[in-house]
Amino acid sequence: MRRFAFTALLALALTVTAAFLLLPVLAIFLEVSPGRLLDQLGSEVALDAARVTLKTNAIALGLIVLFGTPSAYLLATRRFRGRALVVTLLELPLVLPPAVAGIGLLVAFGRQGLLGGTLDAAGVSVGFTQLAVVCAVTFVASPFYVRTAIAAFESVDETMFDAARTLGAGPARTFVRVALPLAGGGLSAGAAMAFARGLGEFGATIMFAGSLQGVTQTVSLAIYQEFDVNLDAALAISALLVLVSGAILLSVKVVSARAPSVWTSPPRFARSG
Amino acid sequence: MRRVAVAVLAAALVVVPAGGAADQARLTVFAASSLTDVLPAIDGRPGYSFAGSNQLAFQIRQGAPADVFASAAPSYARELYRAGLVERPRTFASNALVLAAPRSNPAGIRTVWDLRDKKVQLVVGTASVPIGDYTRRVLRRLGLASVLEKAVSQEPDVKTIVGKLAVGEADAGFVYRTDVRAAGGRLRAVSIPAWAQPAISYQVAVVRASRSRAAARAYVASLSTPRAKRLLRNAGFTVP
Repeated sequence: MRRFAFTALLALALTVTAAFLLLPVLAIFLEVSPGRLLDQLGSEVALDAARVTLKTNAIALGLIVLFGTPSAYLLATRRFRGRALVVTLLELPLVLPPAVAGIGLLVAFGRQGLLGGTLDAAGVSVGFTQLAVVCAVTFVASPFYVRTAIAAFESVDETMFDAARTLGAGPARTFVRVALPLAGGGLSAGAAMAFARGLGEFGATIMFAGSLQGVTQTVSLAIYQEFDVNLDAALAISALLVLVSGAILLSVKVVSARAPSVWTSPPRFARSG
Repeated sequence: MRRVAVAVLAAALVVVPAGGAADQARLTVFAASSLTDVLPAIDGRPGYSFAGSNQLAFQIRQGAPADVFASAAPSYARELYRAGLVERPRTFASNALVLAAPRSNPAGIRTVWDLRDKKVQLVVGTASVPIGDYTRRVLRRLGLASVLEKAVSQEPDVKTIVGKLAVGEADAGFVYRTDVRAAGGRLRAVSIPAWAQPAISYQVAVVRASRSRAAARAYVASLSTPRAKRLLRNAGFTVP
């Protein structure tokens, strides 16, 4: 009896939590009819925003994976003094308010910022370009990937590396042929999370890159702009973002469930754990 | 005993505590972003919510618990008045549009005509916010409407325009005269010919749904005292 009451209580808490978290998401779809939704998604603002968002996020994700993967591998496989500090610093953007990220990017990469003169001399101007959007997205989304990637490499059985080395593989080959495939599931999950976070980036982008349709206006910025001009359009873009983000989250769950690896044949040597 | 504790916990989960009666006495003032510095200086007691006038009007329509609405453009106050949501609005201050540049003035802007003739990273407000609307009206009157195509960003708020100018990221932007005053030396203003100036009047109204309308009316009246007028003038506003 007591046990039943407790379970009922837990179920009640779950119901409240789920209702609170789902209601705003559902309301977006109930507020605008599917026909109007599709109509609005065909608008120029929505299409331009989708193009800008996809392009900048694809580039940002490429950079995140390119630099994040080796960084995570180093942090996962080597122990050195100050390692915890480095990991903490890399995770910092995770908890920074976007406004802080925006101001920081401005005074670092802006025209009058720390690196402004250097960039200017190199002929690169960041402000109000898609490069600025890429910077903002990369800054806020990187930790999502790096964090997961460190965990993914750490979860690879160390004896696998020893085995690879015994069989004559060098460190680079071990990384490419053993570590990457075995951590593949976790790496994909991290990349998907970083991508989902980047898609919704708002605060740092508006402060650092500004908002211009077809150039720097991402979907989140378009929602904000359309909010008081054309609420239907704002709702339609929001609905699209919900669907895409939901799909990404779901694919992460599916990929993680099928870990460790999908892109090589399973290792043939015995596992210790 | 344990069952009682569980029941109490369940009750606490279900019954959301209602707002206390204590904050009834404290007025809530919804005011345009450009009033951020001056209103608390005039009266520090109310709780203030500063945002774009359009957003605040939207929130009041949605039933947000405001007692007073101070708008940077007459249209929003007038619309709420017509909808029966606020009492008759009255003008308590007016502002002017200026072309602002970072103090270092990287694009060398001396007159508003330089926008047409020089290479300028111009930021403007988007058409749906008051600052963007005023900007478009002024540029049309000056015959400079084509300058809008040069804009590198359409900002959602006058604050993000001021910020980009203050850090020197943009070369020029249209803002209110009071913004340049508030930026304390980080910005320089290029004035716009008086004949091209739009009437930028700030209107204040008591929200009808307010539970302390008498106090709200007293607050509105307090914006016209000699002291309030002096503070408004110091901030760069013109007072009636």
